Amino acid sequence: MTPTTRSTAPEMNRAPRSYLKAFSRLEVRMLGLALVIAIALSILSPYFLRTANLLNLLDQSVVVGIVAIGMTFVILTGGIDLSVGSVAGLTGVVLGLSLHHFPIPVSVFLAVLSGAAIGLFSGFLIAYFDLAAFVITLGVMAIGRSLAYIFSGQTSITDIPPEINDLVYTTLFGIQSNVLTLLALYALAWAYLTYTKGGRTIYAVGSNREAARTAGLSVLFYSILPYVISGALSAVAATLMSAQILSIDPLAGNLLELDAIAAVVIGGASLYGGRGTIIGTLIGVFIMVMIRNGLNLLGVSPFWQGSAIGGIIIAAVLAERLLSPKVRR
Amino acid sequence: MMATSGSILLEARDITKSFVGTKALVGASLTLRAGQTHALLGANGAGKSTLSRVVSGHVRRDGGTVLYEGRPLDFRSPRDALDAGIAMVMQETSLAPDLSVVENIFLPELRRPGRLSFSSMRRRADEILADLGQDRAVSLDSKVQDISVAQRQLVEIAKALALKSNLIIFDEPTASLSPSEVERLFDIIGRLKEAACAIVFVSHRLEEVFAISDEITVMREGRTVAASRPTSSLNQTELVRLMVGRDLGAIFASATGPKPIQENPILSARSLRAPPLVRDISFDLHRGEILGLGGLVGAGRSEVAEILFGLRQRAGGDLLMDGEPFAPRSPAHAIRAGLGFVAEDRRRQSIVPDLSVRENLLLGHLGAYRGFGLGYRSLDEKIRDLLQKLELSPDRLDDDNLLNFSGGMQQKIIIARWLLLEPKVLILDEPTKGVDIGTRASIYAILREIAARGAAILIISSEFQELLGLADRVVVISDGLSIADVPSGDLDEEKLTLLAAPRSSMERNQRVLRDLAAEHDGAAFWAILDEKRMFCLNCVAANPAADLGFRAGSTARFEETPIGVALSARSNEFVFDPSNGLSSLLVDVKSHRGHELGSIGLVLGPNQPVPAASTLRASIIERFRAAV
Repeated sequence: MTPTTRSTAPEMNRAPRSYLKAFSRLEVRMLGLALVIAIALSILSPYFLRTANLLNLLDQSVVVGIVAIGMTFVILTGGIDLSVGSVAGLTGVVLGLSLHHFPIPVSVFLAVLSGAAIGLFSGFLIAYFDLAAFVITLGVMAIGRSLAYIFSGQTSITDIPPEINDLVYTTLFGIQSNVLTLLALYALAWAYLTYTKGGRTIYAVGSNREAARTAGLSVLFYSILPYVISGALSAVAATLMSAQILSIDPLAGNLLELDAIAAVVIGGASLYGGRGTIIGTLIGVFIMVMIRNGLNLLGVSPFWQGSAIGGIIIAAVLAERLLSPKVRR
Repeated sequence: MMATSGSILLEARDITKSFVGTKALVGASLTLRAGQTHALLGANGAGKSTLSRVVSGHVRRDGGTVLYEGRPLDFRSPRDALDAGIAMVMQETSLAPDLSVVENIFLPELRRPGRLSFSSMRRRADEILADLGQDRAVSLDSKVQDISVAQRQLVEIAKALALKSNLIIFDEPTASLSPSEVERLFDIIGRLKEAACAIVFVSHRLEEVFAISDEITVMREGRTVAASRPTSSLNQTELVRLMVGRDLGAIFASATGPKPIQENPILSARSLRAPPLVRDISFDLHRGEILGLGGLVGAGRSEVAEILFGLRQRAGGDLLMDGEPFAPRSPAHAIRAGLGFVAEDRRRQSIVPDLSVRENLLLGHLGAYRGFGLGYRSLDEKIRDLLQKLELSPDRLDDDNLLNFSGGMQQKIIIARWLLLEPKVLILDEPTKGVDIGTRASIYAILREIAARGAAILIISSEFQELLGLADRVVVISDGLSIADVPSGDLDEEKLTLLAAPRSSMERNQRVLRDLAAEHDGAAFWAILDEKRMFCLNCVAANPAADLGFRAGSTARFEETPIGVALSARSNEFVFDPSNGLSSLLVDVKSHRGHELGSIGLVLGPNQPVPAASTLRASIIERFRAAV
């Protein structure tokens, strides 16, 4: 073939791409947004940048941050998991009841295992029978909350060993262990999604399921796995939440799914699947927590916080649609 | 409303249109006259469909002008075009399958306010069909999903006429029609012409273009390269040169003769069945061979590929891989067994838009990879070699959206995805759909090369020219049956067209053959004859003494048949062969329009009375024309 063919094929304008690429990377834009919010808050409130407040911000990011990891996996495959909040509630109760009989590590293991099992149940139904993730996880959400009430006897479980506190308050280089857990989990999730066959398969499945199947990828397995991860991480979040306040409420984690989905969406993931990053989600979590924290510092009524978070979600999605170089079909 | 015949109805000038990253039209022009049939020609991806869609309002142009009846036009939707009197009959019909024929014909009326009068719609539908000479061709009450492709097309045409369209665009209307259905369509087009409609006929079957068009416009790479040339001033070679910009021979230049076939096939299909589309399909695929699956769109070829690749479960039949039973459960399973599959619909089945071009290339590897990580590194060298062979520059891999590439580039990446796995059997379904002519040449070259190195290639193509140019052997599939297995050197486009015709017409001509055989107590067959070979399309024997041992799809050299003498003689009279006592009459049948429809043979056993040949010939031609 002669070189003429290549020149007649439509080429993209390559020269300015490296700059454009950096700008169009969503995480970069969102990081910019996070910095703008941080600077604004530090101007508005002298307390915002104090070390104590920054550590507090990290502490407040732990629960929603961990759940948002699982949610990112699920959303990358084009699914959604509405059950994370109630699974956190239920697995918290499992943890509390286990602590009556077993040592702490075994109890934590049982809680995480039960979370993973619930995820396996939802994921299998959704992927094997090709059912709507929204509906299945909505059902599991209702069942989970109901079981949490039944198993706990409708009251908080407070007679748990206080040593479980160490899971949260052990410090390394002055940073609490729950925050370290959060950061370690993000690092793991990032490495998995970027550098492993499983991670890339999750992207491929979410982006074009048919093509992934035709290329010989294990579509069924990697459609179920995200729900298992999401269930297990909900239990991890529930464990850290319970360990922090030494009390387990069957209502714990209520509406956690909304915060987690919001963080993932603000972080730039597409609800159609295939697009989004774990770093973006972490930034999304920080943006949400900062806004909550900032509004508290400024003495804004907590009733306004919902409007603020909601406004940010809508603005983020709208900005993504308008700024995105091409509209997704 | 109707313009006078010959006056300019529509003039499109310098039309440009880009889709994401692709320039589909760069300065395309088209002039249409009332009462004329205008053929719009071009290779795949030349922009003829896009131009038709611009004219019919399905796609908005970026630039250029369209004058219709002298006034500038700017359609925002197909509805605007319909209101102006421009309709398009599409490849994939735009009918509502659950509604009846009459409801579909008047579908556009549903948006009018007020009540519908079914009795007046029915009367008008009858009138329209009568005007087309198709009074009883379709029942007005049938649901559209229950009628044939040809009938659906008729409904589309009636729908256009119900809107008083005076410009009708046919986009590859004959792609899934049998020869007789094509004839009927041409009759309809003839009547539309008489009514001073302007017709656009988009096709790449050149013989049809010559049969029906008055003028020809040829497009190449998004521009008009020959505008409104009178059909009579062009011949086939010139047309091909205009379409591809060079002689076609060069593209298939490396075509080799039939290769010696090894003893054991690597992949065998025996009576594969997966209703409704796959009914009984058998073939053998050998190492180093390029085997073509030919046939019309919808004949069941893609479904066979899907069965082989584990994308579709079979209901019956056997598959053997290297002589061992093979039951692919999933693509992953098929890939492990050594298969690769370049699917027909790139956008739906191959491209993962959110992964980079590199990862798209490596997707097959990812599926086959057994480790936990990615294993991309180890392939760097192999990828470099492969890209060089495919004439792709390595820095294209860093682009992050494969959808921004041209169809040809996309296809190269997808083919490279499979070549990286070094499959033993590579299946390609319409691999050059939407691929420019230059890229085709390099795709053909690489397919030949991997076949030469021992891979077996199964290629499905609706372009008979491509199939004949590339494949060593062609298995013809029609209505879910494999009906012929012929070295491609023995075939040409005409024979392939007849072999591939849907079996529905086969049942009608079977009746004619049966009657003929019964009336004369002999055997009757329908075949294509060239200088030394016959291709049997159908055969019926009423008298065992006259049985020839042919069946549909069998091919033989003349001397290998019991009636070799008659086949070689090509006489107008009965030919008696003293060696076996058989008397045979051969009648060449042509359609009204002069299309070759093959030959009908009548064979009488020894001691049968021999009727007068001349009257018999006329009656055979008459009966067969009606039945094909």
